[in-house]
Amino acid sequence: MTTNPRRNLANQCNALKSTGPRSVAGKRASSQNSRKHGLSSVPDFESSLEYQALVDLIAKEGFSGFACADIAAGLLNYRRVMDAYYDTYTSPEPVDEFLRDANVKASNPIFIELLSPSGSEPQDVREMAAFFASMQTQERRKGGPVSRRSADSHKLIRYQRNGIARLSRAVRQG
Amino acid sequence: MLYNVHFGVYVDVAMPVEDKSKSLLPFLSSPKLLPNESEAEFQSGLQSLLSELDNPSPLAVALVSQLNECLWWIRRHTADKELLLHEAMARLLSKAGNHWDTYDNHKVSEALEHYLDGRADKDEAVWIDEILAESKLTLSDLRVRAFKDAARHIKMVDDLIHRQHQTIRHLQRSIDSIDYKSRLIKRMDLELAALESKQPVTGALTLDDKSS
Repeated sequence: MTTNPRRNLANQCNALKSTGPRSVAGKRASSQNSRKHGLSSVPDFESSLEYQALVDLIAKEGFSGFACADIAAGLLNYRRVMDAYYDTYTSPEPVDEFLRDANVKASNPIFIELLSPSGSEPQDVREMAAFFASMQTQERRKGGPVSRRSADSHKLIRYQRNGIARLSRAVRQG
Repeated sequence: MLYNVHFGVYVDVAMPVEDKSKSLLPFLSSPKLLPNESEAEFQSGLQSLLSELDNPSPLAVALVSQLNECLWWIRRHTADKELLLHEAMARLLSKAGNHWDTYDNHKVSEALEHYLDGRADKDEAVWIDEILAESKLTLSDLRVRAFKDAARHIKMVDDLIHRQHQTIRHLQRSIDSIDYKSRLIKRMDLELAALESKQPVTGALTLDDKSS
């Protein structure tokens, strides 16, 4: 990609204005920006009400204290995975209909108009059109809502595998 | 015997099997269904699974609830495979001929969906037939091409179904293990009781022997 000194300068000036979150609450909120399902974090089941209730329930079935704790944590962990699975399945990444259906060639006048304040050249417009076309290809490759939810759910397979293995092991060794 | 659980919910070991799943911890027993799914159907599946257990413990009921959910997921994913094909067919149909401007739009998808289900009105059927004729495709050709097009996503759904089968296997083993454990405990209790009932008699005999 060729560089345009004026555009580079404008980008650098704009970057100086972007300082990110300043307050503690803002930093805390932005730290969760890329959080998708939260299954990679280590959960604290032991302080939850459900955990204690489950431990008490399982203890009455003749399992040892350690086994009860393992089974309760395994069951809660498995539920956590399945709830995330359901959430992922029911809310897939939305289809960007504008990007998917747009006619790239017909959008050239819009790109020219968008780039004109920064003194654009024909090369810039071509690059922008190419970038837009590649985004459109990616968007189309993702398919419709059913394809998207299948692809998103597929990413959680390993969590399911680990979750059920943990639960099953705890029950059988208990 | 009543097991006290939070939210004021109790699990009664002696209660009928049908009621056990309802009285279990809410987060384990309440199903998360999609808007078009029937809770009655979900519950009837669960009850039929529970009815196959002899005097199930609360943990066994919890595991059977998870197993029923797996079966439900298999159903969803199987329906998704057909939907993926329909999605790909609609996409191919929109791309065919002079329909680039209506790429994958809702109209083609809906009309095709109705057409395949046999619910299409006359206009929709004529329209789909026209597009098929324009693109020189039969419905089965379109299906074959759509399958090729959607193969990557269909494979993903197959993986999801396979995962549920594996999960069911794990759950079955766990339920068997609980069942075996409870039988073992019962048997050991019985043997212990039998030994205890015999012990005083043998003890008395040894004492008698010693004294004599």
